[in-house]
Amino acid sequence: MAFASGYFKTSYKSDLSLVETGTHWVFLSILIIGLVVFPFISSVFLLDLANQVFLAFIGAMALMLLTGYAGQISLGHAGFIAAGAFTTAILFKEMKAPIWITFPASGIVGAILGIIFGLPSLRLRGLYLALSTLAMHFLVTYFGSEYETKRGFSTGVVISPPAFGPFKIEDPRVWYFLLLSIDIMALLFLINLARSRTGRAWSAVRNREVVAEALGIKVSFYKLSAFITSSVMTSIAGCLFAYYRGFVSVEAFSLFMTIQYIAMIIIGGLGTILGTIFGTIFVVLLPYSIDMIGKMLHVPARLTTYMFAIQYASFGLIMIIFLVLEPGGLVSVWNRIKNYFIFWPYRYKPLER
Amino acid sequence: MPQATGKLLLNIENLEVVYHNVSTAIQGITLQVYQNQIVGLLGTNGAGKTTILGAISGFLGVDDAKITEGFIDFQGEKIHNRPPHEITLKGIVLVPEWGKIFEHLTVQENLDVCVSSGERHLKRKDLYSRVFDYFPPLQMAKKRLAGYLSGGERQMLSLSTALLCGPRLLLVDELSLGLAPIVVGELMNLLKVIRDEQQITVLLVEQNALAALEIADYGYVIENGRIVFAGSPDRLRNHQDIQEFYLGQGARESRKSYRDVKQYRRTRRWYG
Amino acid sequence: MQLLINTTVLASLYCLICIGYVFIYRATRVLNLAHGELMAVGGYFIFTVALSLFSKPIPSFFLACIFSMVLGFAIYFFLMRFMAGESVFAAVLATIALGILLRGLITLIWTSQLWHPLQYLGMENASHRLTREAVISTFGIVKVLGAALLYLSLFFCLKFTRWGLRMRAVGENPLLASRRGIKLHKYYAFSWGIAALSGGFAGMIQACDSGLEPGMFVIGLKAFPVVLVGGLDSFGGVIPGAFIVALAEILAINYISPQASESAPFIVLLAMLLIRPWGILGTKEELERV
Repeated sequence: MAFASGYFKTSYKSDLSLVETGTHWVFLSILIIGLVVFPFISSVFLLDLANQVFLAFIGAMALMLLTGYAGQISLGHAGFIAAGAFTTAILFKEMKAPIWITFPASGIVGAILGIIFGLPSLRLRGLYLALSTLAMHFLVTYFGSEYETKRGFSTGVVISPPAFGPFKIEDPRVWYFLLLSIDIMALLFLINLARSRTGRAWSAVRNREVVAEALGIKVSFYKLSAFITSSVMTSIAGCLFAYYRGFVSVEAFSLFMTIQYIAMIIIGGLGTILGTIFGTIFVVLLPYSIDMIGKMLHVPARLTTYMFAIQYASFGLIMIIFLVLEPGGLVSVWNRIKNYFIFWPYRYKPLER
Repeated sequence: MPQATGKLLLNIENLEVVYHNVSTAIQGITLQVYQNQIVGLLGTNGAGKTTILGAISGFLGVDDAKITEGFIDFQGEKIHNRPPHEITLKGIVLVPEWGKIFEHLTVQENLDVCVSSGERHLKRKDLYSRVFDYFPPLQMAKKRLAGYLSGGERQMLSLSTALLCGPRLLLVDELSLGLAPIVVGELMNLLKVIRDEQQITVLLVEQNALAALEIADYGYVIENGRIVFAGSPDRLRNHQDIQEFYLGQGARESRKSYRDVKQYRRTRRWYG
Repeated sequence: MQLLINTTVLASLYCLICIGYVFIYRATRVLNLAHGELMAVGGYFIFTVALSLFSKPIPSFFLACIFSMVLGFAIYFFLMRFMAGESVFAAVLATIALGILLRGLITLIWTSQLWHPLQYLGMENASHRLTREAVISTFGIVKVLGAALLYLSLFFCLKFTRWGLRMRAVGENPLLASRRGIKLHKYYAFSWGIAALSGGFAGMIQACDSGLEPGMFVIGLKAFPVVLVGGLDSFGGVIPGAFIVALAEILAINYISPQASESAPFIVLLAMLLIRPWGILGTKEELERV
């Protein structure tokens, strides 16, 4: 990170503050006003897109926490979402439970699952850890499908919209503000967690486990805490997912969903919050953009049946392009543009004298 | 200026290497290596010596390093920014600091890997016997897994595999690292013998300035990515700064700590 | 007895598939998660060749194998070559993305219909009686023989030829190998070509045995646990790993449910990862490598 203007922090208060300069405050206010006004000026379609982005963002942040901060690779993300969604579905169907029970219940199930998913991380690293989480993902979806077939919901469980007393959350605009506020809370939580002792411990574990242990950081505790925090967030996202869709079925929680989440944090830029934001927007909007391009190019109606395969293939292709050409993601493109202007007219930082 | 007793083999001018697009490791490096010389590159940790050798012998993608200025000329041909195997085929072979042998292969297999496939069987036997002449311990350890060799034997194996590639210029990175002084002396002498018998030129990177200056014909001193001094071994040995910081002699006011060495203000004596 | 036959046939299929995984892993330290799709593509290749060119088995198989190998080279040349210097995680992600791309392309080119290449080859997947209660299909026999043949030739090549020695050196220390004059790209491309060949061959046989549809890549996914149980860097470990996983799967189909058999390999995987993560015949150092 290069500071061009020579701006330095001179007090603890300024070091701790989230918004650093006056200019930042101005931009932030513009963003907030824009976000608040958006649902009142946009179509239902765009509103639904925005809601999907917000919903995905929670899961993406949870994954970023686990992989970007704590360095634990997990291929079982869809399993957590499935767990939250199925907990909601099961409690709703069997006991007609309202949202203020299913929401925390999803969180608790998420935490338990997080411990189970996280246990292998105490012994394994990298590829092996990723594969153990993958194995668990299949187990979770197996149990989900067993529930579906045993209870006769072979096409999925239908859930009615959540209600706080007489106030039903059905209107997309209400969802918008609900999801936006949850997103902001999660974002603040994550930013502060990253700056706290826990976040620093995770960073140490990610970089050099052995050294972290030698420094007195209880590596097992922090690994598990990373898994648990991430899984609780993701299961809650799964619960909201179930309510938003109104429908839970095991096919939605395939390996592809995990890969979409991974793409969100990789295409955006691993390890940064800005990257997660970029990545989520990009991945959620991608199928719709391809649809739009198809309509603009007047693709014959015959081919629209293949739309799903085309979207699938282009997703793979774009991910490949990013991995090969820009492994740092959209954030590194952003940084490169910024650094160009900061260093201009020099190209690199000069050697220290 | 180095003694122009032979043909100019390696000519580096104004070399600059940048890591990860933002971190300049070496800058303005200009040096020459003449045929059959042993040239030493001296400097402390992090000065940039390994980077110079890496730039000559070629980087792989994982290093994320780029030559951004200057050029490297070997026998009249520009060789910078080429992949390592091409440079080896041209006759420049590196003995790296670490990762120097194939640990899961036996000593014999290590040697087999490096002998080029074009060699006829007879010539191969010749090469092997020559290598075993220089390094007898290797012959005794032929069937042993290379990972089980001692530090000195590893260096010998690494030198042998480098020699089997038929180099004209041998780049040696930290030959003395982790070895007992007596072994260091033996290896340095062997290097000189190899240079004499095989007509191979050597560019030697060393932190152990004393050992290096024993066999070098010319020396460069590198600090913080720049060459700050060059000269014959005698000139280097008699220079006050080098005596103080690289040869450990003649402390000035008091014993300086390592921190002082890295940060002390140059009194511009280098350019004298 | 039928149980044993089924297990052996399934294990042979897994062996054929897993050669590809181990090959690429040993050469490049990358786990090729698109291998299931490479297998499926092999099946589709033989279908297309049989449909449009030859209707005889031997030339069709031969040509389809060539196509698979060329595909492997192409994948290396156009994609994995660029990941050669990046972190292992990024390279594995690239293979995941490649798998997605291939899956989409398969559906686009061949639709998701179920095909039977055997019809166009003029062959039948006949049932042969081995003992009183046990039968085995023609292609079941092909699987077993094919796996054995491939294994023996591979073992021989790696241990006793110079090419095999260099392949091992490249797998262990690519930078040093490059510095000693070995052209890395050549050996990487080879490993991808051979992996695609063996995977495609497995897919062709499977397509002839059970039919062809895009969901076939799932078999590749179930083959992971085999490599991990055997040891990611061990060719020899694949054999016991394949038998263990195949046995678990067959037992699950017979005694629990078909759905459970999909998850059975992963339960074995989990158990193995918790007890002995480096696999039956893998080397412990591999754990640290990752």
